[in-house]
Amino acid sequence: MSSRDPMWYCHECHAEMRALMAPQPTCASCHGTFVEIMENPADDPREFSAHHPEDDAGPGGSPDEILLSLQTLLSRGFAERRRQQPSSSGFTFQVRSGGGARTFTFGGPNTLGARPGAPGGDQEPPTMTEYLRRDPGAANDGPTITGPLMAQYLMALLGHRNPSLFGMDGESMERGQYGDYVFSQEALDQVITQIMENSNSNRPVPAPDDKIQELPRVVLEEGSPLLEKDCAVCKDQFKLGTEDPDEQVVITLPCKHPFHEPCITPWLKSSGTCPVCRFALVPQPEHHSPGEGSSTGNNRPSPSPPRSTGGGSQPPNLFQTLYNIMGSSSNSSGSSSGSGNGNQQRRRSSSTPQPSRPTGDRDHIPGEWHEDLD
Amino acid sequence: MASISSRRLAKELNEIHAQGCPVGIELKQADDFVTWRFSIEVMGESLYKGEKHLLQFRFDPSYPISSPAVQFVVEDGREAPIHPHVYSNGHICASILGNEWSPVLSVVAVCVTLQSMLASCKKKERPVDNDRYVKNAPDNPKKTRFHYDGPYLFLRYLPATATRD
Repeated sequence: MSSRDPMWYCHECHAEMRALMAPQPTCASCHGTFVEIMENPADDPREFSAHHPEDDAGPGGSPDEILLSLQTLLSRGFAERRRQQPSSSGFTFQVRSGGGARTFTFGGPNTLGARPGAPGGDQEPPTMTEYLRRDPGAANDGPTITGPLMAQYLMALLGHRNPSLFGMDGESMERGQYGDYVFSQEALDQVITQIMENSNSNRPVPAPDDKIQELPRVVLEEGSPLLEKDCAVCKDQFKLGTEDPDEQVVITLPCKHPFHEPCITPWLKSSGTCPVCRFALVPQPEHHSPGEGSSTGNNRPSPSPPRSTGGGSQPPNLFQTLYNIMGSSSNSSGSSSGSGNGNQQRRRSSSTPQPSRPTGDRDHIPGEWHEDLD
Repeated sequence: MASISSRRLAKELNEIHAQGCPVGIELKQADDFVTWRFSIEVMGESLYKGEKHLLQFRFDPSYPISSPAVQFVVEDGREAPIHPHVYSNGHICASILGNEWSPVLSVVAVCVTLQSMLASCKKKERPVDNDRYVKNAPDNPKKTRFHYDGPYLFLRYLPATATRD
């Protein structure tokens, strides 16, 4: 071994030495295997160390350091992994630098939408923990983590903002946390499903208590014409002398449909509409009708318009059509938009005088657009 | 005093016993006011000719203010009908079971609606998002908020009394 041979640098004990070839290069000082030959002045391993002094700024340090450590760890192959003791909750490894050692643990719940615990034969991507625990010999059997998915795991883990390490397009991804991005169709599906299931834009709007209080109430008495009628909620005929005196109090909605007070009140608290004709006591989300004339019939009944809307009859315009199409997915912003509700209210009431409308809101767009310009 | 739901269900059950179910619909099980089962068959010419499906209703104490949880039974070799609004786990995307439920509707009205939903079907296929939905679906279909306003998830029913006005 001549003195012109390059020196080696040990990343574990920071010694500069001539490595023992046994047969893998091993630090002559500490017998560690994390050694690097110093033959390229442009990539001096000592600078890597000097650049990151032995700070012990808690677990984590700078994200770059962690990522570099991870990169190094992963590129060293999987043999190393088998020596690690997996903790019960995840995969733990240590990065030693100078005086200190840092411990990192992967594991716990996967926050990325990939469901844990089901790595079986299906196409589920494995969690990081499952992936790292897997025997390297069996690596080809199960699903694998692709490059982008690995990046996703790491990004979510670290909330890191420098994508250049992964060769991604930093330009377009700078705005936002990486946890906000998905890299697979499945993850996207789950996000969409979640949004859809949480959407409440089409849910009925309850009538406020004061509105329910204001409704006219009648106590049944002999000879009342109500005694001929049924309550559509309990399907019982109105009658005198019931066990429960409340059942002799009848609320008649503005659409003239009568109900037992104890029957209609809970309904109005869940939906401010008439159970019979769907007359709206409070503006309800419009159900978007593609107008296919479904066999079960989609004729709206004809409730009298709730209060005066002033504007007279106005067909739905493009905005309303779009609102109806879009509304469901943008409910978070929609809740604050009073104008949207107002429009729908107007539309609902205005549909009354029109005996039949040709099918399909979509077909209407050009005409309505024109009318709106007038 | 019996709860509103059991009173109303008792009344519906009496009517079924007295008048029978509409053609093609048969009461299979109604031992309590929690779970009822009906068999449903589409009469006449349809894509579902010869098929008989089991429909299950689950009621909570606030029925009929809250809608029943309705689904096709998919156990013991039974399958849900193949229909663009019916998922392979038996869940049904029909607006009257969700946002458009009204206490005016009854168990038999729901059966009839679903029967005519099948009868009017033009093409036997599963909903486009069947696999995704079934994988994540809750046990109770009422926990799902279906979107009825998409181009393919639409069904609406109003009781006859409402359109007579």
